Amino acid sequence: MAGSPDPIRVAACGCVTPLGDAAATHAALLRGETALRLAEVLGRTGGDRVPLGLLDGRSLDETAPPAWLPALRTLNASIPAGDWGSPGRPVFVTGSNFGVGGLYALRTTGDPKFAVWGAPPTCTEMLRLELGWGPDVSILTHACVSAHLGLLQATRVIQAGLADEALVLSFDFLSPFVTGGFHSLKILNSGFPEPYRERGTGSIGLGDGAGFAVLSRGRGEWLISGQSLYNEMHHFTSNRGDGLGFARCLEGAARAAEGRRVWFKGHGTGTLDAGRMEIAAAVRAFPGAPVVGWKGGLGHTLGSCGLVELAVAIEAVRRGRAPGTHGGSGEAMSDAVSTGVLDTGAFDGVVCASNAFGGAHAAFLLCDA
Amino acid sequence: MADPLIPKLKQLIVDTLRLEDVAPADIPDDEPLVGGGLSLDSIDALELVVRLEKEFGLKIASSEEARRALASVSALCAYIREKGDPSRLPT
Repeated sequence: MAGSPDPIRVAACGCVTPLGDAAATHAALLRGETALRLAEVLGRTGGDRVPLGLLDGRSLDETAPPAWLPALRTLNASIPAGDWGSPGRPVFVTGSNFGVGGLYALRTTGDPKFAVWGAPPTCTEMLRLELGWGPDVSILTHACVSAHLGLLQATRVIQAGLADEALVLSFDFLSPFVTGGFHSLKILNSGFPEPYRERGTGSIGLGDGAGFAVLSRGRGEWLISGQSLYNEMHHFTSNRGDGLGFARCLEGAARAAEGRRVWFKGHGTGTLDAGRMEIAAAVRAFPGAPVVGWKGGLGHTLGSCGLVELAVAIEAVRRGRAPGTHGGSGEAMSDAVSTGVLDTGAFDGVVCASNAFGGAHAAFLLCDA
Repeated sequence: MADPLIPKLKQLIVDTLRLEDVAPADIPDDEPLVGGGLSLDSIDALELVVRLEKEFGLKIASSEEARRALASVSALCAYIREKGDPSRLPT
C-alpha cells in the first residue's frame, strides 16, 4: 500500500460536470437532479441506449479539436494564476482515457487530424500548450483512481521539498470507444445506476468530468491526510471476492480519522458485487459513518472522479450540506447508506474513496485545516 | 438424445478463446465455465458474449444475465434455445 502520513493543504479545487461547476453541481445534486440521459452507446453509429452524462450540447462523437476542450479552458480559468509547469510548481495530469476517442475517430474516419489527441503524451502536450503551462508536466494514469494517484504524487513531491505547490488536473470525457468498452462488459446497459441498492441487475452510468486541485504545504483551508492507494493486482476487471482490497485501502484514512466523526463519500458506481464489498469495508472501518455516493447523478467520470467528487465534497462542507446517495429507491445494501441531505456541521471530516478496474483502491480524509 | 447445440457450443468456446490442449469433448456439460476447470476469466467471458451475440442473434442485457448464461455449457445451451434466433440454431 502506498500512503502518505502527513497532511497537505488544498489551496484551490474545482470541477466541471454536465451539471456545471462545483457549486452548480453541488446544488443540482442537492435538488436530486441527474446529468444522465439515455443516449446511443456508439454515438452516431447507434447501438443500445444507455445512461450517459454529456456536457451541454456535446455530441459523443469525436471532433478535432475535441468538443470538450472549451470545458477545460473554462476550468483552467478558475485555477489560481501561476507559473504552472515551472520548477517548484509542477503539474500532474491524470485521467483514464485522455483523448482515446481520437484514436477511435482516426480508426473509423482515417482522418489524421484526430491522431494527436488520441494518446496521453501528445494529448497532454496539446493541453500544455493550450493552457500555457511550462515543461514540468507529468502524466499519471491508473484507471479510475488516476486522480487519487495524482494527488498522492503531488503530495510526495511537495513533502520531499521538490515543489512549493503542485497542480493536479484530471479529465475524462466520453467517447464511443469508452462507452462501447463498458457496454461490451454489460455493466453499462439500459438501466440507470442505483449505487448501493440491492437489485437483480447492476448498471452504471458514465459522465463527462474534469477537476483540479492545487496542493500546498502551507496555504489552503482544507487538509488532506491518510492518503492511501492499494492494488490487489488480482484481475483486469474484477476484485478479489473477499473484499480485502477495499478494507486494506481504508486503513490509512481510518488511522487519520481516529477521534473524528466522519461521513463517507463512496465510489458507488452501481455494480452489485463491488458495491457490497465497498459498503462492507466502509462500515467496518468507519462505524456509524453515513455513506453517500453521487454517481447516480453524475455518472462515473472515470479517472477524474476522485477530483470531481473532491470538489463537490469541499463545496458540501463549505455550505454545510452534502447531497445524499443518488439513484433508485429500493432496499439499500446497508443501513449506513444515506439518501437524505447530510448536515456536514455534525461531522469533522469526510473520507473520500474511489475504486478502479484491476482491484485498485484509493482513499483519503478531508478536514478543515 | 443430446442437444446438437451442445457440441457446437463447445467447439465455439475452444475456437473463440483459442484454448490450447483442450478438445471440445473435454469440456463438461455441467461445470462452471468461468472460474471452473477451464480457468476462464471475465475477459474470456466478454469475448464469449460478443461471439455468442453475433453467432446466435441474441442480446445479453447485463453482466448478471451473462453470468447466468455462462454458468455451464448446459445453462448456456438452454439460454440460447430460449433467446437465440431459431433460424441459427441446429435442430
